[in-house]
Amino acid sequence: MIITNNLTKKYGDFTALDQLELSVKEGDIYCLLGANGAGKTTTINLLLGFIQPTSGSAFINQLKVEENPLETKRFLAYIPENLMLYPSLSAVENLDYFSGIGGKSLNKSQLEGFLEEAGLQSGAFHKRIESFSKGMRQKVGIAIALAKDAKVLLLDEPTSGLDPKASNEFGHLLQKLRGKGVATLMATHDLFRAKEVATHIGIMKDGHLKQQFVASDISLSQLEKTYLETMDYKTLVS
Amino acid sequence: MYRLLFLQFLRSRAVLASLVLILLLGVISIGIGHQFLSQKKAAIEQVESHQKSHIERNVALHKDDLGLLMYYVQFAFVNSTTHLAGLSIGQSDLNPNVQRITIKNLEGQRYDTDLVNPMNLQSGNLDLSFVLIYLFPLLIIVFTFNLLSEETETGTWRLVSVQTSSKSKYLLTKLSVRVLLIYAVLGVLFTVAKIVLAIPLDLNFMMVVLLSFLYVAFWFALCFFVINYKKNSGFNALLLLSIWLVLLILLPAGINAYLTNKYPVPEALSTMISQRDGYHTKWDTDKKETLQKFYDHYPQFQEFGYPIEGFNWTWYYAMQQMGDDDSAKDTKALRKKMGERETASKQLSAFLPNMHLQLAFNELAGTSLNQHLSFLDATGDFHEELRLFFYPLIFKEESGDSVDWTKFVPKYSDDGKDDKTQLRFMWPLLIATFIMFLGCIIIGRKLH
Repeated sequence: MIITNNLTKKYGDFTALDQLELSVKEGDIYCLLGANGAGKTTTINLLLGFIQPTSGSAFINQLKVEENPLETKRFLAYIPENLMLYPSLSAVENLDYFSGIGGKSLNKSQLEGFLEEAGLQSGAFHKRIESFSKGMRQKVGIAIALAKDAKVLLLDEPTSGLDPKASNEFGHLLQKLRGKGVATLMATHDLFRAKEVATHIGIMKDGHLKQQFVASDISLSQLEKTYLETMDYKTLVS
Repeated sequence: MYRLLFLQFLRSRAVLASLVLILLLGVISIGIGHQFLSQKKAAIEQVESHQKSHIERNVALHKDDLGLLMYYVQFAFVNSTTHLAGLSIGQSDLNPNVQRITIKNLEGQRYDTDLVNPMNLQSGNLDLSFVLIYLFPLLIIVFTFNLLSEETETGTWRLVSVQTSSKSKYLLTKLSVRVLLIYAVLGVLFTVAKIVLAIPLDLNFMMVVLLSFLYVAFWFALCFFVINYKKNSGFNALLLLSIWLVLLILLPAGINAYLTNKYPVPEALSTMISQRDGYHTKWDTDKKETLQKFYDHYPQFQEFGYPIEGFNWTWYYAMQQMGDDDSAKDTKALRKKMGERETASKQLSAFLPNMHLQLAFNELAGTSLNQHLSFLDATGDFHEELRLFFYPLIFKEESGDSVDWTKFVPKYSDDGKDDKTQLRFMWPLLIATFIMFLGCIIIGRKLH
């Protein structure tokens, strides 16, 4: 569902992403690990079509993003680190709003059904977003993805700032989406959550994909060690 | 979708407060228009009874001497006020709509005005045209300056970009919510105005409504053009307010200064002086010479000869006539320059929607300078008509009883207040709005 071929993004002399080769299949959850500036968000922005690659190409559902920006978005859902919704609208209204601008008209029970599926408490359905925690907003984001019936989910640091319970719930939601065949690419700093939810893990540094492996082939401690070594944090490894 | 867009927009207290404020100001402006019309109506209603009692009183006092009687008797000439004038008062509060004319020299009476509180003149009128031309654009700016930037600044734009298939269409839908709300407010105000000011549902009113809707469309297009440049909210607000300042304050003031310098009217003073000199110097001028000039103007009265002994009314009214004749050249020049100023204003206003709208409103409401100049011309005709009727009676030394005074009721002028259905009012606004929309389409493509 997601393929990148030699995907490169340069800003003047600075290379933000260098010849990225990546493939995320249906039902995969691919976690991209890396420090700030490693190129994770650049990768997501290129897949979203927000920025244009300097060279190489990105494909969503076999469509080249650069050439089909609108068509590829039809398959995409996106949850950024801080999902911002309209504070004066309720959860149901926000879901209705974002589904509406995507051309989907949903009735009340459908909307509530998606929010329930995303794990939002029913008491919060009709409350304004302005009173929501970050975890609750992320759940509305998942509900938007569910309502869109997205084939590809792009997540940019979605668990950053979430408390352990909310982060755990979010992980479960991703597993649920995996069961539906959604291909997920998640940029994160959270090694523990990556190990828990991912089918594949990649470690990025300075715009390069340095390491990638199947998540089940590596333990959490090995992942941590590999990550620190890749980041050149030698003192911490010992 | 529209329901949610309205909900999202209207749940902002600032938006509701702005809408209430503009409605309130609109209603106040209609109230001011109503007060203006009431004052005019009251003045006109008093004219008939006043004229009747005024003539009766003077006839009773001076009926044996018609020349003396006509020295005092005034005849009302009324410039009818349209109901639309309540929407666009224009300069009609500066100019009296009732002239009380004697048959003495015209130029001394033509520019008589009512006493007006100068503070009111300085502040101008808060009529509906002011609210529409000056305040609606501000409201449109407030409603639209952050249409896009708010989304990018609060972070919702990224999600919107992923969800929508067309960003321009999404923004246009958002914009249409604001357009509909402003049009609704405008519709409410025009409905209230129509009822309160008893405006007939004629073509002039329709044209005022149509032009107003076009003007609002122009400002929306202008704002949309600016916000499509994807600058931040602060920049958009500053730029749009600067445009408002330039279009509504600086350029009209500049045009006014330009026209005042290009068409100076020293004749405004020289007319008065030549009229006064024309009359007063005749007291010391040979009577025969004065009478000869008078008969040159009115050869039909030559039969009344050249009475030069002592005071007589033929010579007196001939002196009065000389005031008008001697100032005729200046009067003509003044009239021509005022007309030229108005024409130049109209030509320049074709490039300035707000100025064009104000001038169009004034013309449709019958409160324009041109229409006042036409009234002054009609006043001249009315004055001439009175002279030609009374001169022979005075010269024959008829008594006041020889005149049927009942037929001298106030006369009404309706010059230039017919239906103004010409499409010429619409072109400048249509073109300006079209250009703005074209700009929006070109820039809007970048959003995809």
